[in-house]
Formats: sequence, C-alpha cells, structure tokens
Amino acid sequence: MEAVFISKLKPFLDAVAASMELYVPKKSGGHYVFFRYAPENDRPIELNTIRACTPVKEFLFPVCELAATYPQPTVPQDVKPFAVFGLKDCDLRSIMILDKVFAQEDFQDPLYMARRRQMFIISSDCYSPAETCFCNLFDGKGFCEKGFDLNLSMIKEGFIIEAGSKKGSDFIKKNPQLFADVPRILLAERDKNRSGAQQQLERNTAEFELNGTTREIVHRNHQSDIFDAEARNCVECQACTRVCPTCHCFYLYDVRQKDYFAKMKMWDSCMRFSYAAVAGGANPNKILGDRLKNRLLHKFVYFPDRYGIEMCVGCGRCVDADAGGMDLRIILKKLGAEPKDRNIEQAKVAK
Amino acid sequence: MNNNPYQPVNGEIVDILDESPTIKTFVIVPEQQFCFATGQFVELTLPGEGEAPFTPSSAPAQTKQMEITIMKAGRVTAGLHECQKGQKVGIRGPYGNGYPVDSFAGKDVYIVGGGVGLAPIRSLFLTLINRIKDFKSVTCRFGARTPEDFIYKNTLFDSWQKIEGVNIKLTVDRGTGDWKGHVGVVTSILEPEDVDIGKAVAVVCGPPVMMKYATQKLVEFEFAPKDIYLSMEKNMSCGIGKCGHCMIGKYYVCKDGPVFTYDQIKDYPDIWD
Repeated sequence: MEAVFISKLKPFLDAVAASMELYVPKKSGGHYVFFRYAPENDRPIELNTIRACTPVKEFLFPVCELAATYPQPTVPQDVKPFAVFGLKDCDLRSIMILDKVFAQEDFQDPLYMARRRQMFIISSDCYSPAETCFCNLFDGKGFCEKGFDLNLSMIKEGFIIEAGSKKGSDFIKKNPQLFADVPRILLAERDKNRSGAQQQLERNTAEFELNGTTREIVHRNHQSDIFDAEARNCVECQACTRVCPTCHCFYLYDVRQKDYFAKMKMWDSCMRFSYAAVAGGANPNKILGDRLKNRLLHKFVYFPDRYGIEMCVGCGRCVDADAGGMDLRIILKKLGAEPKDRNIEQAKVAK
Repeated sequence: MNNNPYQPVNGEIVDILDESPTIKTFVIVPEQQFCFATGQFVELTLPGEGEAPFTPSSAPAQTKQMEITIMKAGRVTAGLHECQKGQKVGIRGPYGNGYPVDSFAGKDVYIVGGGVGLAPIRSLFLTLINRIKDFKSVTCRFGARTPEDFIYKNTLFDSWQKIEGVNIKLTVDRGTGDWKGHVGVVTSILEPEDVDIGKAVAVVCGPPVMMKYATQKLVEFEFAPKDIYLSMEKNMSCGIGKCGHCMIGKYYVCKDGPVFTYDQIKDYPDIWD
C-alpha cells in the first residue's frame, strides 16, 4: 500500500477542505463529535485517539431526511463531495454492514447511495482504546486495513498516510507538495504503536471473551430468562440503537406542507414499544425483554444468516450510552455461560 | 423513469364499495401503468396522512385499475374510509413475491380464509378461475364473524359457487339474521377429505389467530409444510427490505414474502404474534 509522511495536520486538512466539505472530530464533554472544518479557524486540530461518540451512519443516513414528495416527485438532492476525518476501524466495518443493506441486492437506496458515492473516508489508527471498546471480539483491530481512501497513523514526528483506494491515491498524486517519503524506521514505529493498542484492547476485553460464536450463543439461548432479567436495567431511552453504527431501522411518515405532501425517512428503534405493531393491534414484541431478545437475534443470528456478517462491530458505543446500565458484553457473556444442555422450556414450567 | 423507491405513483380513487360495516373496496386508477402478480402488495399513500400496505383484491389481468379492500383498523385506514370518489392517492410497489400460481397446476388448491383475509384471496381466486382447467380443483373454506361481515357477498354467495371446478363452504362465528349455513370457526369446516392432500397445496390468509389454528389443522391432516402457503401480516413500511420492521427471522416479509411456505418460517419464534 502506498505510504507517505506529513509532519503537520493543518496543511493536509486545508488541502482536503479546498476541494470538499470536511468534517473533523473535536472533544466535547469528554467525547469526540464531528464538526465542519473551517481552514480559517486556527484552533489546533486534534487527532482523535478513539472513535467519535456519534456513529458514522449519520453522514450516510441522516436522522431524518426527505424521501419523496407528492404529487410532484422530488428532484434528487445534489450531494456534494465531502470528507470525514478520524474514522476508526469499527466505523469502516460499520459502513460495510450498512452497504449490505442499502447498497446491495435488487433495491439500492438512492438517498444512501448518493452520499456513499461522494464520501471521502480518512481513517486513523486508535491509540488508546476505551474501556468499553471490544472490537477485537468481533474481528476488529485498533487500526484500519481496508475500507478507507486515506488512513493516518500518528507517530512521534508526524503522521504516516496510506492510500486505500484510487480516490486516495489520486489525492496524494495531486498534492505532492504536502507529502514526503516514509523512512522504514517510521513504519516500524507505527507497527509498534498498533501492536501496543491491540494488546491494550485484549487486556480490556479479556473478561468478556466468549466460549463460542455469538450466533451459536444467542441462538441456543433465545428462550433464556436472561433477556427479561437484563431488560430490567433498560429505561427504554433507545440510545443504544441511536448510537449503534450498524442499527439502520427507519420509518417513513408523511407530513402536509403548504402546497405539497412530503414523505420523510427517519431513524427508528427496535427497542420502541410499537416498533413492530400493526394497525390491527398485533405486536410481537410487547414485552421489553422480547424486544431486547429480538435486537440480539437480529444482530447475531438473522443478519449473519442473511448477509454472512454479524451486525455488530464491538465499538462499545451502546455500552457508553446506556442510561440504565445494560451492557452488551455482559449479556453475551451471561448467555454464553448458560448450560448447553439446559432445557429452558422445562425450567420455565418448573418455576 | 423514477428510480426512487420511496416515490409513489399518483392515482385516484374512482369508486368506493361498501363490503361490510368496517370494510370497503376502493377502486383506484393509477396515472401510470401498474402491473402486479397476485399476492404481491402495494403501499397506498393517503397524502398527508401516511401509507399502509395492502394486497390488491383485483386480478392482475385487470391492468387499467386496481381494487384494494381495506378494513378500518388504524389511522391511515380510518382516513381512507372517510375519503370520497376523486380522492388522490399514491401507490408504491408492487412489492414481494406473490403466489406461485404456475406451481399449483394439476393440484387441488385448498384456500382457507377469514375476515378481510379474503381480499388477497379474491385476487388469487380470480386468477385461478381464469385458468380453472389448469387445476384439479379450487376448494375454498371461508369464515367471518357474522354473515354481514363477509366481504364480496354478491359474488361469494352466488356466482363463485356456480363455477365448475370450484367448491366453496362458508361458516360464521355467530349466525345472525336468516343465516342457514354452518356456524363455527373456520377450522370447524376443514376436513381431510376436502382435497387429495398428497396432491394439493393449501393457501391460508386471515387474522393471525385463524392462520395459526388453520395451519395447525392442515399439519394434522399431513399437509407438508412446504405445501402450505401463508400470506403473512407484519409492519411493512419501506417495502424494499431496508427499514427492518417486518422481519420474521432472516426474512423481510415485504421482500421475501408476504407469501411464505410454512416450511420457511415455522422454526422462528412468535410468527403468529
């Protein structure tokens, strides 16, 4: 992979911002969130050590957007090229998951695709994984190997930048004045940093290691009482699904405007009471524990069965955000600890 | 060419037929050609109110207009029931897979329906009788709460029963008025002798509780689960397998259904809820 060196971020970010809108992470209340980059603002830009609090899906699939208008069809919104700086491996893997839903198969979502095509992805390595990060349990790493246009690795003297796509390579070729060659010794420093972050991740998650695949554990225990018990900690804030970079449920609703009608597309949450209710009144998931169970079955059984990939990247945002203290790592660990030969139906009857 | 799957085709309600105290059939003319296969569904928009999924009750062969039979059940359907002729509507679709009618050839087609579930069944029935000689029989067992609650009374009580190759039995939960037919739930008129089970397919559509017990009875009759076709009702919003509301296990009801064989979904939890 093509690698170059920069000593400072600002000239690089200014060059990106010269050709497209650029979003960069900034610390806010102890977390990183994305802001529009303004070259004229000389506030120092900080490379985020871990993933931002907000999920990358916001750039591709906004909280609420116009989907159609009636009676005259909507003129598709012209999406201009934009770049997001500071995405992590978990973010890139979440985009791959969203692509499975919105970019493949027979119906592509034109709203998602318009943004996806224009997005320039500038990722970076993690340097100090959060205590809630558990990406390594889901084949993730503290650094990116694919899915980016450019990737940054911070070293003492500056940053190593690698291109991961033609778009990324073209950017380097068009801006030769920004980049220097990378001495081999700096690559060794980068690899050492990556290895250190990975070891820290493994230490953080050692107690959450599972004794089987998540699919097998969740499927085997789908009638377990653990879902109801864990749901007692849930305050139904739905934050877990909002911050989850892979949750993608939405609903369509209609609004009356002055001289037309609009069909809006808005994020939804499977933890909401009436999420699956039909007009006749039937609701398969009236009980909160059933909604939690459905969420895990979707992530770890149904989605992999359909798309061949788990719908979780182990970013830990849901653990950070949960107001009631529900912890996906602990739920999976508890489910994994259920005896394999236990007949749950009989146990429930015995109670 | 509109490539936005969320954009409805404009249409107009040109006629409204009262079917029962809570059910009406809306005759809709789309502004553009709109073809569907029997059993597929559409998302019908009442502008400004919202949209809801319905399987057309007319035959696909009728391409100039479509009929949609709607029970007043929620906000959108209540709004539709208030509409008059001339109301503009939006139509998205058709979505889903429909009934595999060609694979029914040479077989007894055993149709079990209840309530407004007769709406998709009417579309299937009209498709079948258009080529009735292709099937060994079309055997129908339909139920409603009271005689008044049956929809399509004019044809159901009369002309449909006279078609050669068609056998219809009806039942009601409560025999009001001058009803002289059977009284009881629809499963009480299902008999293993109704069709040649090894050479038959069953089609079930109706309220979830009816579908549950009808399917159980068909399994007791030793219908193979792969020969039982169920038209499933879930919260179908986007219609294109994205929004996630209508999932049964790994399946999107809107995209992989709404018609499933019992074999496809029987192992998933809570399919009838």
